[in-house]
Amino acid sequence: MPEKMIVCVAVVGHQNNPLYIQSFTEADDALKLHHIVHCSLDVVDERVNNPKKSGSPLNETFLGLLYPTENYKVYGYLTNTKVKFIVVTTDLDVRDADVRNFFRRFHAAYVDAVSNPFHVPGKKITSRTFAERVSTIVKSFGLSSAG
Amino acid sequence: MEEYPEELRTPPVSLIAVVGCPELHATLSRHLHSEQPPINTLALPDFSKASLLFSTTKESKDNDDHETAVGGILKRDWLLKHRTKVPSVLAALFSYDQLSGDPAQWLQVCSLLDQLKALLRPRNVKFLLLVVVPHQSSNPLNDDIGEDRMLALRKRAELDPKYILLFKPDEPSELKQSLQRLGSAFAELASAYYRDEGRRIKLRLEKKTFNSSSIELHVRYCFKVAVYAEFRRDWVEALRFYEDAYQTLREMIGTSKRLPALQRLVEIKTVAEQLHFKISTLLLHGGKVGEAVLWFRRHNASYRRLVGAPEAIFLHREWMSRQFLVFAELLDKSSAAIQNISSLVLATKDTPLTEWESRPAYYYQLAAHYLKEKRSSLELALSMLETANEMDNSAESVVPSAYVGQFARLLEQGDAFSMLPITDEEYIRFAVAEGKRFQDSFEIIALLKKSYESYGDLKVQRMGSFCGFQMAREYYAAGDFTNAKQLFDDIASLYRREGWVILLWEVLGYLRECARKRGTVKEFVEYSLEMAALPVSSGIDTQSLRFKECGPAGPASLAEREVIHKEVFGLVCGESELPQVESRNNLQITGDNPLHLEIDLVSPLRLVLLASVAFHEQIIKPSVSTLITISLLSQLPVSVEIDQLELQFNQSDCNFIIMNAQRPSSAATSDDKQGHRVETSSSLALATNKWLRFTYDIKSDQSGKLECISVIAKIGTHFTICCRAESPASMEDLPLWKFEDRVETSPTKDAALAFNGQKAAQVEEPDPQVDLYLGASGPAFVGESFMVPVTVISMGHAVYSGELKINLVDVKGGGLFSPREAEPYSLDSHHVELVGISGPQGEDESQLGTDEIKKIQKSFGLVSVPSLKCGESWSCKLEIKWHRPKPVMLFVSLGYSPQSNESTAQKVNVHKSLQIEGKTAILINHQFMLPFRRDPLLLSRIKPVSDSDQPASLPLNEISILIVSAKNSAEVPLRLLSMSLQLDNDSVVRSYSTPHEVEDLDPALLVPGEEFKKVFTVISEVNSSKLRLGTMCVRWRRDSGTEEQSGSTVTSVLTEQILPDVNVELPPLVVSLDCPPYAILGDPFTYLIKIRNQTQLLQEVKFSLGDAQSFVLSGSHIDTVFVLPKSEHILSYKLVPLASGVQQLPRFSVTCVRYSAGFLPSIAASTIFVFPSKPHFKVASVRDRRTESLVAE
Amino acid sequence: MGREVSESCVDSLLTEMVSSYCDRFYANKPELAARRIEAIGFQVGHQLSERYTMERPRFSDHLEAIKFICKDFWSELFKKQIDNLKTNHRGTFVLQDNRFRWLARMSVDPSSEGGDLSQDNSAGAPENKAAQATSMHLYFPCGIIRGALSNLGIPCAVSADISNLPACSFVVRIKA
Repeated sequence: MPEKMIVCVAVVGHQNNPLYIQSFTEADDALKLHHIVHCSLDVVDERVNNPKKSGSPLNETFLGLLYPTENYKVYGYLTNTKVKFIVVTTDLDVRDADVRNFFRRFHAAYVDAVSNPFHVPGKKITSRTFAERVSTIVKSFGLSSAG
Repeated sequence: MEEYPEELRTPPVSLIAVVGCPELHATLSRHLHSEQPPINTLALPDFSKASLLFSTTKESKDNDDHETAVGGILKRDWLLKHRTKVPSVLAALFSYDQLSGDPAQWLQVCSLLDQLKALLRPRNVKFLLLVVVPHQSSNPLNDDIGEDRMLALRKRAELDPKYILLFKPDEPSELKQSLQRLGSAFAELASAYYRDEGRRIKLRLEKKTFNSSSIELHVRYCFKVAVYAEFRRDWVEALRFYEDAYQTLREMIGTSKRLPALQRLVEIKTVAEQLHFKISTLLLHGGKVGEAVLWFRRHNASYRRLVGAPEAIFLHREWMSRQFLVFAELLDKSSAAIQNISSLVLATKDTPLTEWESRPAYYYQLAAHYLKEKRSSLELALSMLETANEMDNSAESVVPSAYVGQFARLLEQGDAFSMLPITDEEYIRFAVAEGKRFQDSFEIIALLKKSYESYGDLKVQRMGSFCGFQMAREYYAAGDFTNAKQLFDDIASLYRREGWVILLWEVLGYLRECARKRGTVKEFVEYSLEMAALPVSSGIDTQSLRFKECGPAGPASLAEREVIHKEVFGLVCGESELPQVESRNNLQITGDNPLHLEIDLVSPLRLVLLASVAFHEQIIKPSVSTLITISLLSQLPVSVEIDQLELQFNQSDCNFIIMNAQRPSSAATSDDKQGHRVETSSSLALATNKWLRFTYDIKSDQSGKLECISVIAKIGTHFTICCRAESPASMEDLPLWKFEDRVETSPTKDAALAFNGQKAAQVEEPDPQVDLYLGASGPAFVGESFMVPVTVISMGHAVYSGELKINLVDVKGGGLFSPREAEPYSLDSHHVELVGISGPQGEDESQLGTDEIKKIQKSFGLVSVPSLKCGESWSCKLEIKWHRPKPVMLFVSLGYSPQSNESTAQKVNVHKSLQIEGKTAILINHQFMLPFRRDPLLLSRIKPVSDSDQPASLPLNEISILIVSAKNSAEVPLRLLSMSLQLDNDSVVRSYSTPHEVEDLDPALLVPGEEFKKVFTVISEVNSSKLRLGTMCVRWRRDSGTEEQSGSTVTSVLTEQILPDVNVELPPLVVSLDCPPYAILGDPFTYLIKIRNQTQLLQEVKFSLGDAQSFVLSGSHIDTVFVLPKSEHILSYKLVPLASGVQQLPRFSVTCVRYSAGFLPSIAASTIFVFPSKPHFKVASVRDRRTESLVAE
Repeated sequence: MGREVSESCVDSLLTEMVSSYCDRFYANKPELAARRIEAIGFQVGHQLSERYTMERPRFSDHLEAIKFICKDFWSELFKKQIDNLKTNHRGTFVLQDNRFRWLARMSVDPSSEGGDLSQDNSAGAPENKAAQATSMHLYFPCGIIRGALSNLGIPCAVSADISNLPACSFVVRIKA
């Protein structure tokens, strides 16, 4: 059993406000993860505003590695609707393809959650189904393509 | 980086030594130092020092290479030695006198040379001879003895001749040349020395002459080769060997058993640090930022997990911190050199670099992070040691040993010192003791500050804020609450803006504690209230947050909010005090120390109390009550009982107070407030997220805006919150809570009011009780001064300081004038203007008081109305003049105050408007006619006329008749006073021969539609294609019946119209018909047709005369005649009328061949009346009359 | 996802929603009813745009987003694309659907509605009433377009023009 690779996932709204943030770590650094996610928004801004410098393909939703912190790596994803997905992984060798795959599934889950007619656009996501689905996706991270 | 020794930090500088002639050393070393690249000089005053210099290093050198057991990786002093002690070149200076002197001196030179050679040879140090030639002595090369000596010297020194240099210090130009020569010789030799040395070591590396198991030596040799390469400025080779050394070193970690485990790791890491420093420096020096960053990544990745023994974690973290710091400083330095770091393409295919990895800020931040970790693990290690009571003085004698990264115990045995290896435990104790000496928190703050500022420069605010947050926490821990608060406040505003509640909670927790510690009650209450009102619940996002590292406020949770809430309300209600601030007064709120909070639209405390005020009606009649709904909302976790609410309006008379019926005591105290209205409500409990709504009636006596400014809630006796009132229609969402998934309620139950409700309403003016009449009749006519009487009649109000404003506005919109159309008769281009305002009858303008305003502009007027008592009236007249027919809207408004007290009285306004049509009263037309039965052939008439604008043509020297008609186009009868043709002064020639002077008419009455005609005779005597005729002037006035109306003016109006230009030309032919005025049945008469040729040419004229039933005629019907120039041809016919009545004469037509133009006389001209028998007339003799009536037909 | 919904159900739902708001909840306040219907459309558009933009790169400018609305988005909603797109290049776009589905089955002939409207006062009323009823049905699609665009980061105002039925033009004015 490999150690859990994803320690935190977050959905951040277009005003840079957190819509959903969940950590998957036993350690007591959840607050630090909040900080890491928040700081990563700077990189998202930078990458979207100066796409040439970072060398990433134009307008792709997957933004790639945002920055490495002391123990983690932070990846980003920006939807067409200016919603940001941030995932924090442990600093092991994480394959880009895995992260992409993760984001694709996460995006689908997000879309299903916000398409709920009882969900008001722009508000935090409190759906339990969404939380469970995210947790499943997080658990299966790296397994599908590795196996 | 500062803690690195100088020799490591700076690129190596070649070292040479000079000996002999000490007076020249300063000059030499100065010059060599300024060379590019610079060379350091070791000045040895005399030759005995030279042997001293080399002797010390002698044996260690030998040991170094052939030692079987290697003591360490790098010698601590090796680099320093090469920088300061081991010269690459030794230059011996001899004065020329010594060489050319007596044999004893020569022998001495020889022996010195031998000594030096013996010293230098084993070390391969290059040798250079310098012969100092004083100015006065002759050139030795030109001198026989000198040449011999030099040759001998060369042989003796066994030197290439180019390494024996002459040095002439006394002559400036020679000196400069000598120094240059010397410099290049030194550089060449030094470079040769370092190359040889490098090659020697490289050879060892290649041949593995050393004990191959000793990786230490491999690393050491690589390092040395690299350093020698650096001496030669061969950066590529240096980099290659440093990298080689670095990689070999990395392999050493698991294999080396030489030292105790802990110290071994320390040594390796220290060496790795040095090597990495060198590599980074070289890469950054070459501008390869991307590669340097990648190297740093690799460095970090290979060592970060080599934590070592648990008790020495702090050493690892300190080391890590230093790695980041050093790299940050290197980047900082190089980014200053490489100007545009951001333009570098940093990303490579496999390992893209992220944005911050090329920024020093990122590394400073991480350095701080590791330093913080170091501090905590050091504290742990310290406490462990202290509890074990193992602190002794054994650490005192531990010193760095001969090898880089190694420590040993220094033993003093008398004069002798010896180094003893130490155990790991001793080492830890030593390291802990060392660590205790540093104040880490200052260092951490400094690092964070650098990062904070650097991110700030890049406008990276969130990263910067995070650094700021960490910094503030350090300040907080260090007890510097002022600095901490300032930083925390900045950060809190960011988190508020972006809705990061959990982070905000933590920051506010710190701020609250700062306020508590600083004893600022207001801040403490504000932060506490904000925290209590934050949208933190036990939702799923907080469930998993078990903060160990959470701030002083504890974990964000609903329970915690309630605790804070209760604490702060205990404080504000005076029920409790906050103790625990040492040596200061406790925080408390009392009568002496009341607390007042302001909440405006941008305050974070809007969460705590939100006041929405809505008037049910937007427009209120004065003194009529309407309803107002006040709604309060709070997000505090526990419901709050408000003691009293005060509503404040911009009209302070409307302010009122709502008392809490359940708190009678407080009601009694505030009853005596200056007579304000007091309402009582059964409950003023404000429950969480539930609107507390009140509806009261309100009325205002004063017109204008009535706006609710604020709602002041009083809680307890000494605590008030003043909350700015908000309109439901324009109310912003609650910050932070707007992102929460919750049911939102509107401030009023009525949905429409919630959408449109405003906190302000308009109070109407009292109804005016004054009438304003505009008594104007009928349309106005262009040109006249039209009078509009205005009457002000007071019906119920007295009128004080009344003001009449008059505005003229085009009905169709737009201005009253058009600058495009230049009007010749009105200088200004206003089509309608207000000419004057005259007061009541008899009142002259001079009689108007000086204090009374009277202002008249073209379309605007202002006049003051005198004070009127009830029932009185006042009137004036507006005089308006139209220049163009145009409908105009006249607006008159009267503003007055019903009370004489001007300051307080409000104005009442009455508005009236009237549309007045401006019309043209008189239409002037004209037409030209030719004399009867006389037809000039006008060529311009023959030609086809495409242009209708072509002016009328008149024959030259012929009488023409001008008929001018003036038609009354108005709806009222007019009286025509005169009609005249005014000749233009500028027309050069008088072209009129018949009456043109002003001719006064009896004032002719023109009923609407009637036309008045007047005939003028015109003979044009000048041949001009464009002749101005002049201006028609018609003077008229309204016909006011028999009696003149009192007010309206009877002054006449002059209407002018310019007659269009005419074309005057000479007709070539003039045909005139001549026959009697009437004929008698059966009585023959002569019909003469005269064709006059006015030209100088012979004119061929064809004519024909048709048959007519009523006449018998004689004469040729068709013929062609030639008319001589300037003569007249007369055709004569005799006609006998056969029928009576109006008969048509035979039709006559003429064709002029030359102009191929013909003409037929008009039917009227060829008609004659035939009497059945000779009539009998009474001839009246007014000839003019006859002409007139004839033309008028 | 492959879930399908009967078109006639959607049509009926729309009709019912409009009549509920106009005739029952806010019978005397057509402005309020319009606002509510538009708000519902806004949420629907907001959520649909989230789904339909899922697998595509981000739009780089406004025109791209508008084109997306015209093509893919409209196809998803109505199985056809917008027939004509016009712009003044200053932030106003006109999207014309020559046969707008939700109006296709709507009768606007006043005579056919004469029965229920006979008690209305003036002679011009039936026609006005019919136009008003039609425009009430258009607040919902306007809201959808506005919701979709604002979710794509383009705040705008959307109005509809039904001067030549059954063609319908939606005018999008992008707020600066």
